[in-house]
Amino acid sequence: MKSFEYGDGEIGTMEVSYGVCNMVIGFGVLTLPRTLAGMTESSDAWMSIVLGGAVALGFGWMVASLMARFPKQGFRDMAAAVSNKAIANAATLIFALYTLLFVSYETRALANISKLYLFDRTPEEAISFFFLLVVIYGVAGPSISLLRLNLLFLPAVLSILLVVLAMNLPLFNVHNLKPAFITDWKGVASASKGTIFSFLGFEIFLFYNAWVNKPGKARRAVLSGLAVPFVVYLLVFLFVIGIFGSVVVRNTLYPTAELAKQVEIPGGFFERFESIFFTIWVMSLFNTAVMAFDVTLIAIRAVLPKTGRMTWILILGPVVYLIAMQPQSVTEIETFGEWISYAGLAVGWGFPAVLLLAAAVRRVKGDEKSA
Amino acid sequence: MNDNRRRDAAAGLSGDLQENVSYIRRLLNEPPDLVVRAIAPRGSSRLCVLLFLTGLTDSATIDEQIIRNLLREERFGAPEEELPPESLLSALRYETLSASSVGRTSLRKDVVEAILQGDTVLLLKGTCEALLVSTENWKERSVEESPTEALVRGPREGFTEKISTNVALVRRGIRDPNLIFEARKVGRRSRKTLMVAYVQGIIHPDLVDELKRRLDSLDIDDAPESGYIEQWIEDSFLSPFPQLLHTERPDKVRAALLQGKAAVLLDGTPFALILPTTFVALIQSPEDYYERWGIGSLIRMLRYLAVFISLFFPALYIALVSFHQGMIPFKLAFSIAASREGVPFPAVIEALLMEGTLELLREAGIRLPKPIGQTIGIVGGLVIGEAAVQAGVVSPIMVIVVAVTAISSFAIPSYSAGIAFRILRFATMLAASMLGLFGIVLTFIMITLHLIRLKSFGVPYSAPFAPVMPRDWRDLIIRAPMTFLTQRPAFMQTKNPNRANKRGRRA
Repeated sequence: MKSFEYGDGEIGTMEVSYGVCNMVIGFGVLTLPRTLAGMTESSDAWMSIVLGGAVALGFGWMVASLMARFPKQGFRDMAAAVSNKAIANAATLIFALYTLLFVSYETRALANISKLYLFDRTPEEAISFFFLLVVIYGVAGPSISLLRLNLLFLPAVLSILLVVLAMNLPLFNVHNLKPAFITDWKGVASASKGTIFSFLGFEIFLFYNAWVNKPGKARRAVLSGLAVPFVVYLLVFLFVIGIFGSVVVRNTLYPTAELAKQVEIPGGFFERFESIFFTIWVMSLFNTAVMAFDVTLIAIRAVLPKTGRMTWILILGPVVYLIAMQPQSVTEIETFGEWISYAGLAVGWGFPAVLLLAAAVRRVKGDEKSA
Repeated sequence: MNDNRRRDAAAGLSGDLQENVSYIRRLLNEPPDLVVRAIAPRGSSRLCVLLFLTGLTDSATIDEQIIRNLLREERFGAPEEELPPESLLSALRYETLSASSVGRTSLRKDVVEAILQGDTVLLLKGTCEALLVSTENWKERSVEESPTEALVRGPREGFTEKISTNVALVRRGIRDPNLIFEARKVGRRSRKTLMVAYVQGIIHPDLVDELKRRLDSLDIDDAPESGYIEQWIEDSFLSPFPQLLHTERPDKVRAALLQGKAAVLLDGTPFALILPTTFVALIQSPEDYYERWGIGSLIRMLRYLAVFISLFFPALYIALVSFHQGMIPFKLAFSIAASREGVPFPAVIEALLMEGTLELLREAGIRLPKPIGQTIGIVGGLVIGEAAVQAGVVSPIMVIVVAVTAISSFAIPSYSAGIAFRILRFATMLAASMLGLFGIVLTFIMITLHLIRLKSFGVPYSAPFAPVMPRDWRDLIIRAPMTFLTQRPAFMQTKNPNRANKRGRRA
């Protein structure tokens, strides 16, 4: 059934946008407002979001340029084309390590926040375990199904967020946003760092690039995928500050979820909306984790193609679980997350930047036919 | 022995009439219902023999159209110029017999098959060929409304067990020369007729090829029901979801054919198969189109809700009662707690008990003879609804939950889809009992992932949700007004995308 296909071996522009959006938005929305409020006064962090967003869009443009420059090629092939095989393999494996750690962090952070909003007694070990099992079920199938899952889940996730924001509109107090422009530039700059961290994740598409069918549209796809989180971050931050005020936000673990707590369903059909909100948010977090794991496998298999995908899943699954269980407290989980963000910055954005620069200097261009 | 018979059967008829007749008799083991009638056609000295099975054939047809004509006087010229046997056979075929369908063969195999199928075989002395007259007659159920798929508005006709009637029912609605029926025999021993139907020029040709390829692989003794075919050619036998839709309604088959799908009809069953199937097709009903679009859309949304309820409602109850009591509004929580007071089991056991009983009731209701069937309703309603609550085994709230779930599962148009949701409901209940809402969302993710991966004849089961086909969304959650639905579904990749023109017929 050759012509009777639905682009099953390919990734369309829409999948790229949705995937980028979901990857970025996943965990950032929940924690970003606290990080920002901790570093700036009142609502000044909007400048950081704009600043950080601009940087992220810049890097997004870069990653997309790389994708367009090397159509139908994965990260390893790009790196190999620019440098040599050994360096490409090393870089790919480092990338795989980063995404693997990312899955661990995601799993653990999800368990942590679940415990806060859904369970009182169920241990984090069990929550992570079952989540990871479903992730493994996810990666056991073809990659395209994971990207298509984005198409279904992202609208649900964004709508629930909009519902939360809309329902909170009556509580919005403009005075909480004032006074403006009281943070010094250092605060704004360091808060931008937090924003940049929240924009990490889309670099995994360097690997999916091997299946992207319209490389010419990669830039638009990636940038529009990044534009949505940018707007969402801005909106959520302003709402959180406008409703709780800067001081409260600073001392709340997950301000966005607290925002959901404020929602009262008309008619009093059920209470504690944050549980519903978080339950739906699990879908977004699942997508992020499963795509990261998928990319880990793609990366490793690009270097070591002899071992089968399923074997790697069975080897790496327990590894992810063990790593996820290492942090002993919320603070340690956060430190873990921070280090992964630094790693992401170096690996996910640094590598492509170097790669693009080298490719430009050496005038290397990917050829669709040779790939 | 068997091999011998098969080789014999493949051979041609012999020139000797007696040998042919005795061969057939021997092969069929001297059946009591085999009639061997020797007749000398008027105007010929040659003897001919009619062979048929009494029960399967229509004696009126044989009398009126075969025997009477053979005995008529005026034919075959003068006795002195006796026709050679071959020409006589042709003469009989073209001039004498007035049956509508007469065939000619020289193979033993065909002769035997024709007899077993209810045809009458005419053997003529001196030839090694035979005439096959179609005289098949079997008491047939009349075309009546299908009991499993009743509609308020829509044609009141349903398929019967006879394939020729079913083919006619489909044809009557599509009078287009491009409507193709391809017949093939199914079953090594049953030799039933199976028809593949599609509209050439609309359907994607690869789909037909793939269907034929899969049907070619079919090699079984007998296919008593189209379910055998369905399970043989489906994509994944592990999936709880039906990958071919079955229906008793000719209008549903016709609509599917015009959407670029294919249908499989099997002799002996009123259930036709429609393929490929998508998740959305399970939730659609022909009535969505027969009624005006407003109500059609609303009912369709109601069905999506019904799917959700039948999958997750008991699970949600379990999750809320055992994990997230805080989510239940205070007053309701109070009344649930009061009603659950004295119930000795955790919510999940309570739910499994009730759901299990309901499944038992449902099964018993089908098995019992019709007059007693009602008793089950009374006993079930009384025992489960009243006594169980009175005895404090389950809480009244649980009874409500189970009842609403059952009602919702009946609101899903496709019976086999309802079965899938019934199976998955138990999975969600178990997940909810272990991990509450988190467990429910994990099962939801797994079901969605499974649906995205599943394919029916190469068509993604989750189309047009994912992959997204925006054009098809007009007929997805809502059913857009008729004038908007001018194109066939994009996910079927039809060869002829337009089915209507809003501006009317161009002169």
